[in-house]
Amino acid sequence: MTVRVSMTVNGKPATAEVEERTLLVEFIRNNLRLTGTHVGCDTAQCGACTIHMNGRAVKSCNLLAMQAEGAQLVTIEGIAKADGTLHPMQEAFREHHGLQCGFCTPGMIMSAIDLVKVHPNPSEETIRAELDGNLCRCTGYHNIVKAIKAASAKL
Amino acid sequence: MATNYIGQAVKRREDYRFITGAGQYTDDVALPGQTHAYFIRSPHAHARIKSIRKDKALKAPGVVAIFTGEDTKAINGLPCGWLITDVNGQPMKEPPHPVLAQGKARHVGDQVAVVLAESLAQAKDAAELVEVDYEVLPSVVDVADARKSGAPALHEIAPDNTCYVWALGDKAAVDKAFAGAAHVTTLEFVNNRLIPNAIEPRAATASYSRADDGYTLYVASQNPHVERLLMTAFVLGLPEHKVRVVAPDVGGGFGSKIYLYAEDVVVTWASKQINRPVKWTAERSESFMTDAHGRDHLTKAELAMDKDGKFLAMRVHTTANMGAYLSTFASCIPTILYATLLAGQYTTPLIYCQVTAVFTNTTPVDAYRGAGRPEATYVVERLVETAAREMKLDPSAIRRRNFITQFPYQTPVALQYDIGNYEATLGEALKLGDVAGYAGRKRESELKGKLRGIGYACYIEACGIAPSAVAGSLGARAGLFEAGEVRVHPTGKVTVFTGSHAHGQGHETTFAQVVASRFGIPIEDVDIVHGDTAKVLFGMGTYGSRSIAVGGTAIMKAIDKVVAKGRKIAAHLMEAAEADVEFRDGFFQVAGTDKKKAFAEIALTAYVPHNFPHDKL
Repeated sequence: MTVRVSMTVNGKPATAEVEERTLLVEFIRNNLRLTGTHVGCDTAQCGACTIHMNGRAVKSCNLLAMQAEGAQLVTIEGIAKADGTLHPMQEAFREHHGLQCGFCTPGMIMSAIDLVKVHPNPSEETIRAELDGNLCRCTGYHNIVKAIKAASAKL
Repeated sequence: MATNYIGQAVKRREDYRFITGAGQYTDDVALPGQTHAYFIRSPHAHARIKSIRKDKALKAPGVVAIFTGEDTKAINGLPCGWLITDVNGQPMKEPPHPVLAQGKARHVGDQVAVVLAESLAQAKDAAELVEVDYEVLPSVVDVADARKSGAPALHEIAPDNTCYVWALGDKAAVDKAFAGAAHVTTLEFVNNRLIPNAIEPRAATASYSRADDGYTLYVASQNPHVERLLMTAFVLGLPEHKVRVVAPDVGGGFGSKIYLYAEDVVVTWASKQINRPVKWTAERSESFMTDAHGRDHLTKAELAMDKDGKFLAMRVHTTANMGAYLSTFASCIPTILYATLLAGQYTTPLIYCQVTAVFTNTTPVDAYRGAGRPEATYVVERLVETAAREMKLDPSAIRRRNFITQFPYQTPVALQYDIGNYEATLGEALKLGDVAGYAGRKRESELKGKLRGIGYACYIEACGIAPSAVAGSLGARAGLFEAGEVRVHPTGKVTVFTGSHAHGQGHETTFAQVVASRFGIPIEDVDIVHGDTAKVLFGMGTYGSRSIAVGGTAIMKAIDKVVAKGRKIAAHLMEAAEADVEFRDGFFQVAGTDKKKAFAEIALTAYVPHNFPHDKL
């Protein structure tokens, strides 16, 4: 059984005929070939697949593509400006060595942007608590927290 | 031109692609016409496979092929890369490690069949239609039970589930020292099994080309060249030069991606069978069941001391769980990388260590973070700490009393320490940890109804897993050197090819810092290439903290050769004696004069050799 899904991804229309059971992350990675969104656990624990849907951070491995019908999605590929200027959160991760192997990074950045939107100028404690849905197996949390704190001052 | 980057906080050059989603991990690779593989795995720890019926599944939508052990009989098993010789001079037992189970499954997750289909969902659907008839056998999973009488045997060649009994040290002398000791501390403990859990699951995508009878395998690996060598020469019998292995961006390894895995072999082999690319990516549950695990030791350790707490001898008996099969480096972890570290930072004059490696119905065990060495430190420091308490000695005092202070120091467990200052490091740690104020903090905690403790550990680690001659004498079947190639382009830009592999370490930055500084050129002029057997001449990969020690040294030696050649060319161009030409800050200069040539100028001359010292090169 297939179904036609249509949504806006990083400001561009995206439409495809997919199986009903297609996960949103599969649609993003396989149909749109936006491979910056990663799958680390298949079970909505690691947060590597985090994207923004209608302005909120969501785990795209835990949604069907159909559930995003008509939605506005933003992935890691869509947060820098068109001229290539990085998002302040991207800059902060680079500045503060907030990544090592880089696999969790897109999800971390997408979560962090939402975190700062909901909690402007968050305390370190808030950042750590709010990041509990994103895992970094390189255990680079300390610098991730620093990066988010620094970015929050600029957002 | 600031060109000394060593010690500078250079921003990581690899980060741009990772923060923009432009990294290329194995699962990001999509090849035209690719099929998707799904492995059917044993749900039983130990079972005889009576039959596999795949006729229904073969008719399912999108199915391209289904392979079982019947189809892969001609493929050799996965080899072990380190030979351990037992106490009787016999080689360890190396049971077959089939890429798809041959008649028996020996751990939960053992791969029994593989379904290839147009989509992953179709492969999974079809897998549910494959009927595997298992006869469940009694299993043994606990390291303590593996050698008990009546324990079910996993492999015909090891009826007592014993891979080897290995020992290091003078047992008679150690026993004698124990007999005369004033105090003996004895401990029995488990160093528990753990799962590496890199956040990027293992993945492998292979393609075959009829045009040149060649293969390309993209794989999440720490070790692409060794993976290729083992797979071609030992398992598939393919010409090594016809197989390209690419380990692109890799999302962490922690040891678990050093090894050659069955799935890597199966997708490579299958890509020729169906003449289409085959893609496989592990689910997290597969990572738990099939990525090589770490540790899993059961140990009895004893420390003999005189009345003042001076160490006289140590005796360690460890049973190490290998799991169901020998993984690539499994055998050397609880032996060569373990027993040799039992001296720790202490002058214990006599040490005996006996290690019994056993097979159980569990996921294979191999190197994980530190691999063997943390296990050794755990043994030593638990013993020392317990001894201090038993003898009512201050934990730092008992350590100081036994520290090695004269160097070089030959330990009784093969290693020689060239240098160290353990008194200084302990002193600094006591200061940083404010040990003097500990009693006060403990009282404060007690007033709040909380507990507070303090622990000591003095760690030493042998890193690098090299050089070749030493590794070879200890049973390594791999070379364990490292390769480095420094290619200077006509314009003086530099590409460095290293056999080390980065999966989070940041080599593209750190190695470039060293190379740019050494050549005196901007870091932007240096690129580091790794992880592709078609680009890098050879490599031993990254593990055991060997990248800068061994890989970095190879690069430095290559740089020396470039500079030596540059000096010859510069001397010729400046009509000076080669001995008078110095290379410093990016210039070849005739000593004591202002005659000099820039690095890029010499590079260009090497490629445009109109005026060139051919006779000297």
